[in-house]
Parts: sequence; C-alpha cells; structure tokens
Amino acid sequence: MSKTLKGITLKGSAELVAEFFSFGINSILYQRGIYPAETFTRVTQYDMSLQLTTDAKLKNYLTNVISQLKEWLFDCTVQKLVVVITCLETNEVLERWQFDLECDKTFFLPDQCKYESIQEEIRSVIRQITATVTFLPLLETACAFDLLIYTDKDLEVPEQWEESGPQLIDQSEEVRLRSFTTTIHKVNSMVAYKRTNST
Amino acid sequence: MDDMEDDTTIFSTLKSFKSLISCPDRSLLETEPAFGRSGLQNLYTKRVELEEAAERVRSHTNLLQLTQEKQQMELSHKRARIELEKEANSSSRDLQREIDRNRELLLQIRRLEEREEKANQALNEQMENNKALKRNFEELHKKANEKDSKLAEADQMISELKDETRRLNQQIQIQESKFSTQNLEIQALQEQLDVQRKKFQDVSQRYQNLQTSHSTSTESELKIKELERRLALQEQDSVIVKNMKSEVARLPELEREIKRLREENTFLRETKENNSLLREETEGLRRKLERMERAMEEKLKVELEKEKLEHELQAWENIGQSTGLNIRKPEDLSREVIQIQQRELNLKQQNYTLNSSIRSVEKARTELMPEIAQLRAKAQEEQKKRENQDSLVRRLQKRVLLLTKERDGMRAILESYDSELATSEYSPQLMLRVKEAEDMLQKVQTHNTEMETQLSKAQEEAGSFKLQAQMKLHCIVFVFLRQKIEELESERQQLEEQNNILEMRLERHNLQGGYDPVTTKVIHLQMNPTSIAKQQRTEEVEQLRVECQRLRDRLRKIEAGGGMTTDDTTLIIPPSQEILDLRKQMESAELKNQRLKEVFQKKIQEFRTACYVLTGYQIDITVENQYRLTSVYAEHMEDSLLFKSTGPVGSMQLLETDFSRTLTGLVDLHLFHQKSIPVFLSAVTIELFSRQTVT
Repeated sequence: MSKTLKGITLKGSAELVAEFFSFGINSILYQRGIYPAETFTRVTQYDMSLQLTTDAKLKNYLTNVISQLKEWLFDCTVQKLVVVITCLETNEVLERWQFDLECDKTFFLPDQCKYESIQEEIRSVIRQITATVTFLPLLETACAFDLLIYTDKDLEVPEQWEESGPQLIDQSEEVRLRSFTTTIHKVNSMVAYKRTNST
Repeated sequence: MDDMEDDTTIFSTLKSFKSLISCPDRSLLETEPAFGRSGLQNLYTKRVELEEAAERVRSHTNLLQLTQEKQQMELSHKRARIELEKEANSSSRDLQREIDRNRELLLQIRRLEEREEKANQALNEQMENNKALKRNFEELHKKANEKDSKLAEADQMISELKDETRRLNQQIQIQESKFSTQNLEIQALQEQLDVQRKKFQDVSQRYQNLQTSHSTSTESELKIKELERRLALQEQDSVIVKNMKSEVARLPELEREIKRLREENTFLRETKENNSLLREETEGLRRKLERMERAMEEKLKVELEKEKLEHELQAWENIGQSTGLNIRKPEDLSREVIQIQQRELNLKQQNYTLNSSIRSVEKARTELMPEIAQLRAKAQEEQKKRENQDSLVRRLQKRVLLLTKERDGMRAILESYDSELATSEYSPQLMLRVKEAEDMLQKVQTHNTEMETQLSKAQEEAGSFKLQAQMKLHCIVFVFLRQKIEELESERQQLEEQNNILEMRLERHNLQGGYDPVTTKVIHLQMNPTSIAKQQRTEEVEQLRVECQRLRDRLRKIEAGGGMTTDDTTLIIPPSQEILDLRKQMESAELKNQRLKEVFQKKIQEFRTACYVLTGYQIDITVENQYRLTSVYAEHMEDSLLFKSTGPVGSMQLLETDFSRTLTGLVDLHLFHQKSIPVFLSAVTIELFSRQTVT
C-alpha cells in the first residue's frame, strides 16, 4: 500500500486500482453467492468491513489475474475488466460486471490529490455494489464466474492466457454505478443482468 | 167640483147662446119694418153680424168645449193621477212588502247558507273522520294481518321447535345410551387406573429412592470438587509464598539500588538544564550556519544573474543602435513592438477582409459569369434588334427622301401643269392634289417621328433591361445564397441528430460490453473457474451416466435372475435375513405346488381311463357346462353325444348332434318316456356293440 504523501504516481495508482479490483471481485462473489458464505472471512479495508475468500484455488486464481492486471495498468494497455457470471446448467451468461478503465498518460504531479478522497470514492463504489443486490434477480442455479480483460489489440498475450469472446448477455438491462478516479486512472463501473420474463 | 164648475160654465154658455140667438131674432124683427134697401143691408149686416156672432158663439162654444174638454182632461188627468198615485202607493206598499219579503228571504237565504256551510263543515268533518276512521281501520287491518302473519310464523316456529324438541329428545336418548356405555367403559378404565396408580406409586417410591441416592451422590461429588479446588488454591498459595520469599530476599538489594538511582536522578536533573541550554545554542548556531550557507548560494546565484542581466542589458542597448530606432529604454522597445503588432493585426485583418471579399467576389463572379453570358447574348440580340431598327430607320429616311423628292417632282409637275393650263379650272384640283400630297407628307412625318420615338424607347428599354438584369443578378445571387444556407443548416441538424443517436448507440453498446475488434481484444486465463466448473460438471454428468447404466444392467439381471445376484455387480446390497427366508419359503411353496399338480394330473388321468373302461364312454369337457361323450364302440371318431348341465342340481340335457339324430328312437324311448340318461347311454352302447359285432 503506497501512501504517497505528495501525490500519486503511476505505480501507486496501478496498485490502488488493482487492490480495489481484488476487494471488489471478492465482494461480488460474496454478495451474489457464487461461493458459499462460509468460505469468506471478514477483513477491514477502506475503513469498512469487507469479505475475502479463504478458498485456496480461488485465491490463487485471483492473485494471478490481479498481478498481471497491475502490470498492464502500469503500461496503460488495459481498457476494461469484466466479471462474467454464467449459469452452469444452461451455459447462459446471467450477469456482467464491467469496469471501464481510462488511463491518463499525460499526467502531472498534482499536489491536491489526496488518498482520503480516493478512498472515499472507492468506499462508495463498493457500497453501491453491495446495494445492487436489492434489484438484481436471484441466481437460483449453480453459477461460476470468469474474469475477462479487454486490452489493446497489439498486446502480447502471455502464456496461460487465451483470447475469448466478450460473453455478452442476450437481452440485458444495464445499470451504471459510480466511478472513482486517481487522476491517472479512472474506473467506471456498471452492471448488466439478464432480463427476467416473470417481472 | 170641477165638473160642477164645468157644468155651470156649460149652462152659462148655453144661456148666453140662447140669449144671443134671441137677440139676433129681435134684431131681425125690429129691422123688418124698416125700408126695403136698408133692410137688405141691414139683413146683410145682420147676417154678417149674426154670422159673426155665430162665429163668435161657435168659437165661444168651441172654447167652451175646449175648456170643458180641458177640464175633463184635467179631471181625467187628476183622476188618472190619483189613480196613479193610488197605484203608486199600492205599488210602493207592494214594493215595500216585496222589499221586506226580499229582506226576509235574503235573511232566510243567509241563514240557509250558514246552515249549509255548517252542514258542509259538518260533512267535511264527517268525511275526515270517515277517512281517519278508514285509515285506522286499514291500519288496524294491516296490524291484524301482521299479527296473523306473525301468528302464522309463530305457529311455524312452534312446529319447528316441536320438531327440534323431538329431535333433541331422540338425541338425548342416544346420548344417554352412549353415556351408559361410556360409564361402563369408565368403570373398566377406573379399575385399570387403580392398577396403574398402584404401579405408579411403586415406581414413584423407587424414583424417590433413586433421587435421594442421586442427590447424596451429587453432594458428595460437590464436596469432592470443593476439596480439590481448595487443594489447588493451597498449592498456588504455596507457590506464591515461595516466590514471595525469593522476592523478599531481594528487598535489601533493591533498597540499595533505589538510593543510588535517586542520587543519579538529582545529578541528572542538574545537568539537564545545562544540556537544554547547550542544545538551544547549538540549534541557533546550526540555523545560522544554514542561513549563511543559503545566503552564500543565493549570492552566487545573484551574481550570476547579475552578469546575465548585464549582458542582456548591453544587448538591449545595442538593439537600439543596431535597429536604428529611437530606443533608449525598454519601454520604447515595447511601444515599438506594440505598434508593429498593431500594424500586423491591422494588416492581417485587412488581409482577411480582402480574402473574404475576394472569395465572395470570385463566387459572385463565377455565379455571374453564366448570367453575364446570358445577358451578353441578350444584349447582342438587342443590338441586333437595334441595328435592324436603325436599318429600318435609314430605310424609312431614304423613303422619306424619296417621297419628298417625289413630292417635289409632283409639285413641279403640278406647277408645270398649272403654268401650262388654265388655273381656275384646275387650281382646285391642284390644290386638292397639293393638299393630298401635304397630307401624305404629314403622315410620313408622323410615321417618322413615331419610328424615332420607338427607337428611343427601344434604346431606353435596352438600357433598363441591362439594369434589371444586374438587379436580378444580385437578387438571384442573394436568393441562391440563402437557399444554400438553409439547406446546409438542415443538413447540419440532421447530422447532429444522427450523431446523437449514434453516440447513444455506442454508449449502449459499450455498456453491454461490446468492443471494437480492430483496436481491442478480450483475454482471460485458460484455467478460470467457469471452465473448471464446466469440466467438473461434464465429469459429474459422465459419472452419473455410467452409474445409471450400471444400475440399469443390475436391475435387468435382478429381474431376469429372480433373486440370484452374485456376479459382476460392484454395488452389492447385503441381502437381509428376512429376504433369504422369504426366498426359501417361496421356493419350497413352488416345489409343493408343482408336486401337487403332478399328483393331481396323474390321479385325474387314472380316473378318466377307469371311467372310459368301465362305462364305455370317454367324457370330455368342451365348453364350460357341456360334456362330450364318445363311445368305445363308436363307428366313427366324430360320433359323440353332447350333454349340457342345467342348474346346480346336476340335471343334464342332451344336445343335438349328427350322431344323436341317428339315435332318435332310443332318445324318445329312454329320455322322453323313461327320463333316464344312464339307461339311454347303456342302450346306446348295446346298440353300437351289436352293430359292431354284427358288422
């Protein structure tokens, strides 16, 4: 955790954003019940209590993805991160949590930028993710999740990564959530879910 | 009295008349002895006098008559008046009587009217009373009806209640019977209860004994625990005591240390103040040092800057000499620069305006070019027209000249004619000709002037046409430009709307997760939870399928084998003991069944052969109640008798067959007459036997 005093550097901003994603994805998995609640433990972050998984395989997977994502954030080659939730029985995509990233390469070292304000914004985003549970349709069947990263076309794909489709939802409703910015990276959040016919 | 007076007058008059008459007679007589002529005159005068007297008398009598008549009239009048007065009186009396009667009658009428009114009032009251009474009556009637209805309802209720009471009585009886039975049950249960109570008492006693023993045991356990605790505490205390001993041993040493430390403390406090003072001094010195160092650095920097600025100043001063302008101070330089910049701005503005004007002019020119061509063509046409008209004018002028020449010629000829011939006869003709010629001249002149005016008009029109063309050009250009502007604006709005729509679509696309495959690509880890979960699912499904298949095979084998399941089934359900016993029972029962069947078969076969041999008939059951008998001695295989069993008693009837038709005699004899089937059958065997032995 880089509590830079004067301002935020590119590296610090990348670390902040990657940390946010790590906790955000854990929150989404806990709230949507992709993994059982007993496999999560409570931690304190951003002055609020969040859930973090204890499943070893899942932790391993997340750390792999987040570390690679941090590198790409530093290079400003990543455009979006998407959490795709698919139903295992029908192989349909039920929810898509999409985080757009805008990287401002021509940054100056600002002296107004404060860590506390960024933290406040991140807090509000995570609270909003928790609040979306009220209007998202229930996931009744067993589901699994996947993390997709939208990058520049010319990026070299490392081993263990492969190209995939965007895994869009057929007949979706979209809701835009809050965004936060570290003046170098701007993260816009939105959630798309499959329209249920019973409403 | 009047009559009397009248009579008197009448008598008086009569007397006078008579007197008169007598007088005249005397007069007559007296006069007779008088002389002849005087006698006639006297007669005549006498006559006349007599006549006059007679007339007087007549008139007098008339008067008297008239007076009499008048008196009579007056009398009659009076009488009449009297009578009338009487009548009037009587009539007035009658009138009064009538009036009185009238009054009385009116009074009576009033009284009668009052009575009538009273009677009417009474009638109305009576009517009202009647109505009220009727209403009351109706109300009472209604009430009576209601009461009747209520009574009827009450009767119904009563009947219902009676029914209910009957039902309830029945129920009560039933309940009483139930009650009695239940009482019996209760007694039995009570006996059971007593027994149970006795048992309960025994059990409770035992329980109490148990509880007492339990409590004693718990108390003892508690005591044990307490003792153990006390033991532990005592051990802890002992440990503590040991520690305390060791600590207490250390006490004197600690006291010595304390003394030492206190001394050090006082010494240190003394030195502390010195220390703080020294530190402040050092800090002050350090700060001074820093400031000095900074000042030195700044001084160096300032000197460098000063040199730079001196150089720059020299350069600036040289500029003034090099450029040749009146520059002594930088303000002049700035002023010059500002002026130059302003000039430059003005020039640029002029340049822009000129460029824009040039462009507009060029546009106008290019637009005007075709129109100019058109106008030139038109001008050329006009010129041609003008030339034509000029030529026409010239021709006309020539004609005029010719005509004038002709005229002169004609005039000369005419003059010659005039000079040659007598003028008086031909001068009017010549004058006429001259006049004609002059008229022709005038006409030609007017024609000329008209042509000239037309020419001028045409020239003016050509000039105005040129002006109009120029104006039209401007207007057309203006209108054209406006149209273009409007079109461009509408296009711009459309494009803006399209732009907005496309932006919205792009936003939606972006939200849904779409991307531009040219610039972005989507990647994920190969070993991601979804793929792992899918793999696991497919493996599970496969496993389940395999298990399913195995279970199905096992089931089939179980159904086919009938209980012997020993070979290649991985899932072996351990058979319970009951199932084995039941299987054994089943097997034994089946064996029994089979043996019984065999035994029955044998016995039946034996019995049938015995019947066949002894009776000579083979009896088969073809249909439910029909028995077919074939004889030993039958000639053909199909010869058989059919009997049908009717009723449970055992009576049989013979049915028609081909063979039975050949035996009609026997049938009649034995069955119809003798009514015995065994005799019939034996007769048939005898018959057949005899037939066989014979043949």
